[in-house]
Amino acid sequence: MKMITGGAFQGKSEFAVKNMSVSESEILDGGTCVPEEVFSAVCVKNFHKLVGRVAEKGGDVIDFTKKLCRENKDIIIIIDEIGCGVVPVLKSDREYRENVGRAGCIIAENSSEVYRVFSGIAVRIK
Amino acid sequence: MTILVTGGSKSGKSSFAESLLDGFSGEKIYIATMKPYGEEAFSAIERHRKMRKDKNFRTAEKYTDIGEVKIPLGSAVILECLGNLLANEMFKDGGEVRECADMVEKIVGDIEKLSTKCSKLVIVSPCVFSDFRKYTVDTAVYVKNLAEINRRIAEISGCVYECVYGIPVFIGGKNENNF
Repeated sequence: MKMITGGAFQGKSEFAVKNMSVSESEILDGGTCVPEEVFSAVCVKNFHKLVGRVAEKGGDVIDFTKKLCRENKDIIIIIDEIGCGVVPVLKSDREYRENVGRAGCIIAENSSEVYRVFSGIAVRIK
Repeated sequence: MTILVTGGSKSGKSSFAESLLDGFSGEKIYIATMKPYGEEAFSAIERHRKMRKDKNFRTAEKYTDIGEVKIPLGSAVILECLGNLLANEMFKDGGEVRECADMVEKIVGDIEKLSTKCSKLVIVSPCVFSDFRKYTVDTAVYVKNLAEINRRIAEISGCVYECVYGIPVFIGGKNENNF
């Protein structure tokens, strides 16, 4: 499993296409896909959005992420870094942030390679 | 020696900060700055307590004026966290801004006082500087103060780490092998 993170619009998907032999059409969009599709996908982007969608439907984000790590060991996961602001006013926003943070930590732990992309430049952090 | 551990929310800062003192044989003190008000604060405090349960920390709750905490000479200290400390110092419980001529100097001074008493000091501080939202004036001052305090600590500390989804990324200074 590989993980690519960083801020929004930093070139994370481009990095996957250029360096991980993934084609653009193989990248599932976590913002719109059927959540279960991720268990067999080659690559997923916007995984943070998928986390939000799973939670909205009453699913357990931690279980979902752990299942993904078990069942799709070769997937490339692209996830925005979203926790770097002041604590949000809305409770639902705070919960979303927590869920994404926890899910991201599980993915990072299970990944053999983790990259962080900043202004198009990827730094391997694991 | 002082070390700064920063990172976004739920990025594994505390767990990494605690692991930095794993091999320390002297007394370990955990300065908790979060006020136990409200359900969310309570559950966050519980979660952190569980996390450090078997790591031999003595917890000292101190919400402001951390320079006053009694520290046996030679102890190791984790200050958790600067974000809460600054909020407690800046805002009264009703949210009203407390008068202080120079908040940054006050807190940096308290940290310096603390650091002279202990042999190792790990400071946990949230990274809140990459957000798209427009904050209120008071919150914007809070963010600026926190950034300035972080920078001042980075100057005096031996090293700075940023946690990213549980991975500690070494940002600068001496690495933890010298810690």
